[in-house]
Amino acid sequence: MDNAGPPDMVVRSGAEWLVSALEAEGVDTVFGYPGGAIMPVYDALVDSRLRHILVRHEQGAALAADGYARASGRIGVCMATSGPGATNLLTGIANAFMDSVPMLAITGQVSSALMGTDAFQEVDIFGMSLPVVKHSFIVRCAADVAATVHEACAIARGGRPGPVLIDLPKDVQLARGTATPSRSREDSGVQPARAVDIDAAISLLSRSARPLLYVGGGVGIARAEMALRDFVAATGVPAVCTLKGLGALDPDAPELMGMLGMHGSPAANHAVQCCDLLVALGARFDDRATGKLETFAPGARVLHIDADAAEIGKLRGADVALRGPLAQLLPILAQRSPVATEDWRAHCASLRRLYANRYDAPGDDVYAPALLHDLSRAAGPGAIVACDVGQHQMWVAQHWRINACNRHLTSGGLGTMGYGLPAALGAQLACPDARVICISGDGSIMMNLQELATARRYGIPVKIVLLDNGCLGMVRQWQELFFEERYSEVDLSDNPDFVALARAFGIAAFSINRRDEVPAAIERVLAATGPILCHVRIDPRANVWPLVPPGKSNGEMMESAA
Amino acid sequence: MKQKLLVTLLDTEGALQRLLGTAERRGFRVCAVHAEVVDSAQCHVAMTVESARDVALLARQLLRLHEVRKVCVA
Ligand SMILES: Cc1ncc(C[n+]2csc(CCOP(=O)(O)OP(=O)(O)O)c2C)c(N)n1
Ligand SMILES: [Mg+2]
Repeated sequence: MDNAGPPDMVVRSGAEWLVSALEAEGVDTVFGYPGGAIMPVYDALVDSRLRHILVRHEQGAALAADGYARASGRIGVCMATSGPGATNLLTGIANAFMDSVPMLAITGQVSSALMGTDAFQEVDIFGMSLPVVKHSFIVRCAADVAATVHEACAIARGGRPGPVLIDLPKDVQLARGTATPSRSREDSGVQPARAVDIDAAISLLSRSARPLLYVGGGVGIARAEMALRDFVAATGVPAVCTLKGLGALDPDAPELMGMLGMHGSPAANHAVQCCDLLVALGARFDDRATGKLETFAPGARVLHIDADAAEIGKLRGADVALRGPLAQLLPILAQRSPVATEDWRAHCASLRRLYANRYDAPGDDVYAPALLHDLSRAAGPGAIVACDVGQHQMWVAQHWRINACNRHLTSGGLGTMGYGLPAALGAQLACPDARVICISGDGSIMMNLQELATARRYGIPVKIVLLDNGCLGMVRQWQELFFEERYSEVDLSDNPDFVALARAFGIAAFSINRRDEVPAAIERVLAATGPILCHVRIDPRANVWPLVPPGKSNGEMMESAA
Repeated sequence: MKQKLLVTLLDTEGALQRLLGTAERRGFRVCAVHAEVVDSAQCHVAMTVESARDVALLARQLLRLHEVRKVCVA
């Protein structure tokens, strides 16, 4: 790096510009995997302050960056080479897109002159990723690299966050460019709401006898949890949460009815079906939450409050739409909204009591809901749980005491098996003092098992609890219930010896089979100073209850197979 | 139903792909499109789309795109 001509102007290679711009952004950790088309960037990393975490599959890099971002609220950064490296990132990029996670994905690209010629390891990652990025760039000259990084980060974080891709041709990484070292840009905020809309919202709330909050992931993203808790404390309005809204309210808040939707609590679903005003807060009427849309909250008017105008009316029309920053709107609404009536609150409280979770299942085998409930209590309110996808994910949502949205890392929108382990690693690196627990399944863990090597290499002390039912449990459950028990390709009874496998990676591991072994196992897992895997054998026939059958109304929950 | 949209967008790499792709992915068939770069920075697009969905929904999705400056439902 040398100084050139005019003051402040500096000459650097494109790769050096990239690295220095990331440093200027305050990025401290980058998850990645090298290869031919990104070698100049890896060369520049040698002289940089950035901590690069070498994952063992690019999907692991993107999902770790996602976990890092969700847990910390800062942007997650991942990088890969062109071609297969870039395509391997795609699932993680899509995951971040569906769940509105701020992420910067950097891909090397073949040299500009070769682009469009089917060169070795050339793929049009810009084109392939278009549907799953918030925005994307191909940088065409070295002098533009730093400004592009700053713009990309601001876009990824601003408004409704999401992933942004920068594709960097190799010649641009190598070329020298003259520019002024720049700084992080201010994120674009969310436009304030209009006073008339606020008045209309208050009027709707004032006329409602049975108002209900439908809390989505947008509350956590807007960092509006405290404002929401204050609103609920002031008004007593009951609330249901989506999978991603869990944690926005205190798990002990008397107004919290639990999660709604397919595997939601009957209390929550019944409350939705009988409310007369549904206040959607950063929620998007996802089909897993609404069940059959036409019968969702049939008697309710809708007040839809969201930072993203495109969500309003997308699936269900809003009687009043309020577009604006939730953290600012909720205090205004709290001041001017009436307190919910005693009758309605008492009705909701009785639903809650009636459908409270029970943990007294008969038998000696491990009852996963009880294990998760006990583990989450023992782990404490500050623990971060990252889960995979399947039955175990739903059990976490139902039985883990989730205290804050950013302590529950779950692949909500995309439902990505393989998310849990890399997300846990990312979260642990972002929050070194937190206790990070990964709840995985025997199917899911195999999708990014290679990241045990990452845990080992960097001594990342994640606690992995592997719920092994010897099958793709969630799919098996659907085949049992909705495909007349015609089991098709869900058997995993020939699973490898997970304990031996973990040990082969240098990770401490042990197995339990019986319920009476659970307390000691929890103690052992939580006492471990390094990474550890606890393999838990559970009944392959266990199902997640209750369940709203596909295509049915949330009012038609099944409570058992009978 | 067919409806016409007038869109002003920054003439950046991939802008047109993003615009047309968003329309199609969101359930709007693009029946006609005329795009023209009017000065070095801006592109004007007139497009006719067909869908059972409300075109206002598409307009809001398009406004989320970073390069889209203005959308009018004609
Ligand atoms: C990458 C990916 N492939 C397939 C699926 C479909 N799928 C959803 S849940 C599930 C079974 C998961 O099995 P496991 O991890 O063992 O969890 P369990 O349901 O048994 O708790 C499958 C195959 C998915 N969500 N993601
Ligand atoms: Mg399983």
